[in-house]
Amino acid sequence: MKIYIYGIIDCSDQMAESIYGLGGTGVYNIPYCDIGAIVSEVNQRVQDVTEDAVLEHEAVVERLVDKYTVLPVRFLTIVDGRIDVLSLMRRYYRDFKDNLERLRNKREFGIKVIWPADKIKENITNAFEKTKQSMSASDDSPKSRFIKEKYEKYKIDKEFDEKASRFINAMDLFLSKFAAEKKLEKLKTDNLLMDAVYLVEKAKESGFREAFEHIKSAHPGLKYLLSGPWPPYNFVILPKKPGLLENTGQAIASDEVIQSQSFVGADNL
Amino acid sequence: MDSAIAKTKDVTLLEILDRVLNKGVVISGDMVISVADVDLIYLGLKVLLSSVETMEKLRGSPFVGPTQEPT
Amino acid sequence: MITNGIVETDSAQEFIEEIEKSRDALPTKIDANPQNVEKGLARLVLTLIELIRKLLEKQAMRRVEAGSLSEEEIERVGETLMKLENKMKELKQIFGLKDEELNLNLGPLGDLM
Repeated sequence: MKIYIYGIIDCSDQMAESIYGLGGTGVYNIPYCDIGAIVSEVNQRVQDVTEDAVLEHEAVVERLVDKYTVLPVRFLTIVDGRIDVLSLMRRYYRDFKDNLERLRNKREFGIKVIWPADKIKENITNAFEKTKQSMSASDDSPKSRFIKEKYEKYKIDKEFDEKASRFINAMDLFLSKFAAEKKLEKLKTDNLLMDAVYLVEKAKESGFREAFEHIKSAHPGLKYLLSGPWPPYNFVILPKKPGLLENTGQAIASDEVIQSQSFVGADNL
Repeated sequence: MDSAIAKTKDVTLLEILDRVLNKGVVISGDMVISVADVDLIYLGLKVLLSSVETMEKLRGSPFVGPTQEPT
Repeated sequence: MITNGIVETDSAQEFIEEIEKSRDALPTKIDANPQNVEKGLARLVLTLIELIRKLLEKQAMRRVEAGSLSEEEIERVGETLMKLENKMKELKQIFGLKDEELNLNLGPLGDLM
């Protein structure tokens, strides 16, 4: 039997309730000092990536979040045996502890906003039409037309981008008041104005939701999506570390723990 | 009405997939033996495998599908 | 609801579309299959050329904006950019590559362009 890992928790006691995981076997805690890894046993290393498997995995994590602080582990993380789990916790003990402390009592919310990119670009274009005369080009050669068109497009795109920044900053201003941490991505697609995740303390959740409602009513022309509360998937921070595989006595194996995805583009705001 | 609910379920699944496939504690390298490794390709709604075998196994287990707990 | 994580939105369909659009998989690996090696290399080289071309273009636009180019210079820049663009179109055609393919996914850093 192999071991499937769901998450790292801030508790070394055995679980009080019975939860079942992928493959229908019981979920239990492998403790290490004052933390633990929540696992279940699976009999194949190859698991199908099905909707049901994904939902089962998430359901286990959600049950844990009710009782513990959880660092969710990626779907389909399977190791050979107990020793690997312990080795993992030993190597990353400090990192896991720090994350568990930081993320205690906090949950993640996702906010996505869609705006009508085409219409906005059209409005910008119309606004520029009026000042078009000021652009030079007495002759109408293909060269000057080419660069004129390029330039116009450049101006439109630039204004479009700046407008997006202004919108996002305005929204973020309200939401940040209730958030401990956040990650924002601007214009993932032209229409997806904002794709953000916020880490919110349980005590501030209602304030956060209210801020969101306020934003919606301030800009009713846009489309909004609020998701959550989630376990803190986007806020787990782990360094890359080369490691030792204890049971094989092998020198420096290439175990790497990759930092959770940080959104690109946040620096542009 | 029905399709609005279906669509909301779909977008919920997308949100879940984004999190469980790419985020959280991501371990790769020699220790992890599952096939889905760092290059686990995001499959999206259309391409998610649906394994009949897996579903049959699920029906037999005491944990039949995710728990339908109210929030 | 299956999970505690809930999604609230009036526009599920639109969000599904945008989310899927933003995920359109870029090839993350260079295909080492011998039959495709040439195309894989071409893709890589052209991607880098395209990056440089776009940077040059952007730089030119900034200078036009700042008014730091004379009429004559603007024309010459225009001509150069035009030729570059046409050359790229030619090369893309020769190697059978589309615009979307001339990009690289840098993992946690996002896409190159």
